[in-house]
Amino acid sequence: MIEPKPSPPIQPRPNPIQAIVVAILTFFLPGLGQLFARKIRRALLMLASYATIGGLIVWRFVEAAPRDTGFVPIFLKGIRLEPMLLFILILAIIFMILASIDAYFLIRGVERNAAGLFILIAVLFFFLGWQLSDINLVRFITGLDEGRYRLSQVMWPWSRAIERPEELIRGEAIIEIPCSENPPAQSEILPDEAYVISDPTCGVLSVQQGPEGSPLHLIGGNFIPNMEVDIMWEDPIGNEFRQRQGGEYISVMSDDEGGFEIDIIMPYRLLPTDVGEFQYWAVFGQQVASLGEAQASTELKLAISHMIETIFLGMMATCFGIVFSVPISFLAARNLMSASWITVIIYYLVRGVLNIVRSIEPLIWAVIATIIVGLGPFAGILALTVHSIAALGKLYSEAIESIDPGPIEAIQATGANWLQTVVYGVIPQIIPPFVSFTIYRWDINVRMSTIIGMVGGGGIGFLLYQWIKLLDYRAAGIAVWFIAITVAILDFVSAEIRKRFV
Amino acid sequence: MLEVHNLTKIYDDGTVALRDVSFKLPDGEFMVVIGLSGSGKSTLLRCINRLIDPTEGEIIWNGIDLAKLKGKELRETRRSIGMIFQHFNLVKRSSVLTNVLAGRLGYTPIRLSVMGRFSKGDMKLAHQALERLGIPEQASKRADELSGGQQQRVGIARALMQQPKLILADEPVASLDPVLAHSILQQLERLNREDRISILCSLHYLDLVQRYATTVIGLHEGRIVYRGSARDIRAMTDAEFKDIYGQEAERVGESIGGIIQDA
Repeated sequence: MIEPKPSPPIQPRPNPIQAIVVAILTFFLPGLGQLFARKIRRALLMLASYATIGGLIVWRFVEAAPRDTGFVPIFLKGIRLEPMLLFILILAIIFMILASIDAYFLIRGVERNAAGLFILIAVLFFFLGWQLSDINLVRFITGLDEGRYRLSQVMWPWSRAIERPEELIRGEAIIEIPCSENPPAQSEILPDEAYVISDPTCGVLSVQQGPEGSPLHLIGGNFIPNMEVDIMWEDPIGNEFRQRQGGEYISVMSDDEGGFEIDIIMPYRLLPTDVGEFQYWAVFGQQVASLGEAQASTELKLAISHMIETIFLGMMATCFGIVFSVPISFLAARNLMSASWITVIIYYLVRGVLNIVRSIEPLIWAVIATIIVGLGPFAGILALTVHSIAALGKLYSEAIESIDPGPIEAIQATGANWLQTVVYGVIPQIIPPFVSFTIYRWDINVRMSTIIGMVGGGGIGFLLYQWIKLLDYRAAGIAVWFIAITVAILDFVSAEIRKRFV
Repeated sequence: MLEVHNLTKIYDDGTVALRDVSFKLPDGEFMVVIGLSGSGKSTLLRCINRLIDPTEGEIIWNGIDLAKLKGKELRETRRSIGMIFQHFNLVKRSSVLTNVLAGRLGYTPIRLSVMGRFSKGDMKLAHQALERLGIPEQASKRADELSGGQQQRVGIARALMQQPKLILADEPVASLDPVLAHSILQQLERLNREDRISILCSLHYLDLVQRYATTVIGLHEGRIVYRGSARDIRAMTDAEFKDIYGQEAERVGESIGGIIQDA
């Protein structure tokens, strides 16, 4: 039965003056007019948004000008350093104006849709978020330009994958200090070895803040053509040093035949004077050249060996995960554990522990594991095992919960015993999901183990982290490539295997 | 010969599924149980092979009280009672052959069956059973690749592997279309006539009951409210009909061979 509606009480319609006063008040406190108009939910939403946005704006201004005091200096500095704050402020004022207009019409009894107001609030929060989280597209674009070289090293690091052993090419001349009556003979021109001939073969060394040493004219030959030759000295006690002249190391470019000529002044004395009457020094030209057979670089070998370590790390963690999670999954399967209140308590206990363990990231488990067993792959295996037990335990138990009781009933009806029923009715149903989940978990574990090394869990992540810290971007690039290739292959293989089993 | 005396089943939650049910099923009969969903048909069939333990009563099967059997004796007795199901209850991911051979588990030593091995005789029997049901070429397919009608034939083949004296059929055609329903029931009828296997079958459609049953019992809220032969079904009165299907049920059309509509 429909009861006749009581006629609504005739409300005195507020006059325009009242409405305008309320509207002005609403400008300063959005939501107030709406409250008067008995739009409680709208009023509360507007008040809450106003308070939050206002608070955030004040905080951002203070944050932008931390050392200033007083309203005006903070305001001026804030909009100078963070121009977006001005924009946000303008939006907020528009919001206040719209709120007061809304209040005016509500007081006058005109129903209005507040969707526009709330969209404006959402926009305000968006720009506040933009300002708050320091989003800077300009920096992104310029940084992209500056980082392009390093990025290209990471993207195509293969020049670092091959190295040639280095070889020293050296030719020397003996210099007597100071000149005796019989200075040493000039060195010979050798047919197929680098040589340096000095003219003269004796002289005096330079003295600090004193007279310059003797000039020498050096002629070299049989060096690698068109490559710098460093001019170096060896003193009588076997110290080798590069000679500096005018602050620069001396080096000379060899010509097309591998020869060079250069005039130098003998270097400063580095030894005590009273070593003997005459000293025999050697001046020599030296080139460091990579001439040997190309071979895999140390970095490449390291990356490969650690990648293999990583894959097995993931595999071992998965194996241990299976061993522990299979029995646990039976305890966490509701259909098996609903027999009595004791088993139900065990069920909830196991489920709870699994959920807690699973909600802690493997990276955190790795940190905990390194405290116990130290750095290395074993810590990574422990961390991934713990997480795998929790994740697989849940997946397995759900597979057990979803088995169809029909076939079990049918097998029992044939006169089969308990073991036969399990073998023919239960296992065929749970093997496919178990295999599928396990492969998937292996996939995840290998992926996780590539980064678990960053916190000391061994594997390639450890190398990657080191190389990034050493700014060796090419080596890091090699590691990144190996990780990407391995993960892609694994992803494909695991998807294929799972397809077969489902 | 199956004799059921004063069978009562009360579930743990207090639901009374069967009250004081008694009937006799002489060898070679095709007995159909009719009744609404929830009237106790499934419970009755499952009590007979003890998939459900009855609360009270006796189930005398060839002189042995099934209700009192336990363990090995129960399993050995179950071998002579095959069962087929509305949803076929095949192990979907196993092959058809494995599903059929599962019917032989009661006769196979545990040691061998756990290894997945069956005797040559059993293999031959399985292929014969599939041939007899008209699906010999499906043996190596996965069970869930087959159509509904074919799956039910596999279910019958599995029951046949037990070399049963009685087949319990729990709404065997309820998930099938009318044409397939006839073909499945014809298979059961053939087993009934050629092999003298008794059939105890629950059905929903009265035209099927008329066509295949030799004797009929009707259940309503766990009690037997109707007993008759196939001929009696034809002459069922409205009062009898309402006893079985409730006061709000309506018979569709003039003929008795209509479809029951639940109120």
